[in-house]
Amino acid sequence: MLSQASKPGPEAARLGAVRDRAVAGPAEPLLDIRGLGISFGRAASRTAVTRDISFAVEKGQCVGLVGESGCGKTVTGLALMGLLPLSGSHFDGEVLFRGENLLRLSERQWRSKRGRHIGMIFQEPMSALDPVFTIGEQISETLRAHFRINRKEARERAIDALAKVGIPDPSVRYEAYPHELSGGMRQRAMIAMAISCEPALLIADEPTTALDVTVQAQIMDVLADLNQRMGMAILFISHDLGLVSQACDRLVTMYAGEVVESGAIDDVLVEPRHPYTSGLLRSLPTFSPRKSRLPSIPGRVPKAGEFPHGCRFESRCAHARPRCRVPQPIHTLPTGAHVRCCRHEELDLPGVTQ
Amino acid sequence: MIIDATLPPAAATRPVVTVDDVTVRFPLGQKRFLTAVDAVSLAVTQGETFGLIGESGSGKSTLGRSIVCLEKPTTGRVLHGEIDPYGLKSKALRLHRRQYQIIFQDPSAALDPRMTILKSVREPLDVLAEKPRRERDAIAMEMLERVGLDGGFADRYPHQLSGGQKQRACIARVLTLQPSLIVCDEAIAALDVSIQADILNLLADLQTEFGLTYFFISHDIGVVEHIADTVAVMYLGQIVEIAPAEVLADGYRHPYTEALLSAEPVALPSHMRSDRRIVLEGELPSPVKPPSGCRFRTRCRYATERCAAEAPPLRELAPGHRAACHYAETFRRDLQPQEVEA
Repeated sequence: MLSQASKPGPEAARLGAVRDRAVAGPAEPLLDIRGLGISFGRAASRTAVTRDISFAVEKGQCVGLVGESGCGKTVTGLALMGLLPLSGSHFDGEVLFRGENLLRLSERQWRSKRGRHIGMIFQEPMSALDPVFTIGEQISETLRAHFRINRKEARERAIDALAKVGIPDPSVRYEAYPHELSGGMRQRAMIAMAISCEPALLIADEPTTALDVTVQAQIMDVLADLNQRMGMAILFISHDLGLVSQACDRLVTMYAGEVVESGAIDDVLVEPRHPYTSGLLRSLPTFSPRKSRLPSIPGRVPKAGEFPHGCRFESRCAHARPRCRVPQPIHTLPTGAHVRCCRHEELDLPGVTQ
Repeated sequence: MIIDATLPPAAATRPVVTVDDVTVRFPLGQKRFLTAVDAVSLAVTQGETFGLIGESGSGKSTLGRSIVCLEKPTTGRVLHGEIDPYGLKSKALRLHRRQYQIIFQDPSAALDPRMTILKSVREPLDVLAEKPRRERDAIAMEMLERVGLDGGFADRYPHQLSGGQKQRACIARVLTLQPSLIVCDEAIAALDVSIQADILNLLADLQTEFGLTYFFISHDIGVVEHIADTVAVMYLGQIVEIAPAEVLADGYRHPYTEALLSAEPVALPSHMRSDRRIVLEGELPSPVKPPSGCRFRTRCRYATERCAAEAPPLRELAPGHRAACHYAETFRRDLQPQEVEA
């Protein structure tokens, strides 16, 4: 905790002001994604991977982004981090971070933003850490790239970051190479690196998928602690609805490159408005009697480039009607939630409580 | 316990597999050993789904492999019915082991990328070479259809299939040999939830149709509770609790089971979630140098001096329910008042 005193900047003042949306006030959200479309390839043969992605992450909020593999969750996360190649990728819409459009940044401008204001952690810590440097050196390097500090200060703050994510004996572990740590400890080290500059937003892409349940619970505690005590906003990308409902305030469901539903987590769990969200929830074994047939979603996510013209979920949806075959706009509900389904008003879809 | 009474008594049902005091030890050199499975005994009865849960490194895959004759126990015996497969000569073993099959977590690694799906599925029959080619093709096609991969898939290659479809092909392949037991080693762990549900439904259908027995290895306690009849919990090479699945969720008697259950993230709104959440400290100790006494004691919140000095035996607490904890009857405060009769 020592580093906070020495660290200037707006984040320090906000410590402890958390989750409370009233405190955040009517000011603009931290991250505001408006109609983000990502496509790859040259103009003639461009393939749209996502389209019309809109959602916001407010200060101190934890937003869960869910969907099956191939729905565009990870590519959205990479775009927010400026990690998609500038040549070969085409973006529509805008991504406003503190009012500034990230899609307009040059690689040079990204370098001062990435890691400093937005951090990211990945599923596989071993491939994100460099095997030939100690974890401490890697964290110090990040710090020295963003702040004018000397090696000693960087070391202190790196040790501090290691302590914050619950690594025992942080000053000893500073000297450890990635292969000397267990999977859980490596994931903690990667989180320490991502939060060492105290970014306002942390993008966590399946951060616990490779870990055991008991270690997963530990890592989720670390993330919850960062979110609640330090007020760090988190975009939590996961296919695990259980984890998302435990950790997040809001839920965004993506299907085949589109946002199909978003809303407050507790509302969506009890009363999902899109058949896809409802289907995902109902297919969890926890909500079916033991040994009974599990409700599943037939078929699979269409590939990018093969998205149907109308509702993209239509071919797998039990509630589909002929009118679903036209492109679906996203509807805003009175509660502030969003749903991309023309039948959302007439359908009464089962949630986790049925 | 009421449900137990409706089932035939354990002695009457025939065990398909008996694991009798099995230890699997791997030499590490310099006279050091890694004990992956340590004196495990269990019985899998005909037609049931036996669930095995535990963290990575707990020895559950090694145990599964030794059941299908892929890992010879260092000491102890595995019995298939009355037969000791490790005592068979290689030719007899080949004929025998077809009844004991295994499917793995990653179907992409289990299918040869250069073979069509039909050829992969037919391969076990080709190896046996007992039937003419046309008959083998017919069996393979029938099994493909049975797992929901009709006609069009037979001539495709693995890369043209999704993960769920590939896992279906792997299931079709083991079915061609008409096995009596299938070990499913994290068979659905790599799949999306909705696809997981599909495969679980398929496994249940096949079980009814062919009278299969499953030895279902998973780290996902929610999935195991759903499909298993009996659940065993493994920690550092040992079984710490074993119980009928319907008993385990509320009637668990081991602190490790408690921790696993509470660590499972459940998709419920905040007001419906229980506060009972135990986050274990630390990680699985090294199986090369396990802790003295009870192996779980280093992470157990109820541990006492006795746990370090004395290894708790796997004791029977109720019919079909065993736990290895000195304090199995008393550690759960939430049960104390009603605990008059049990």
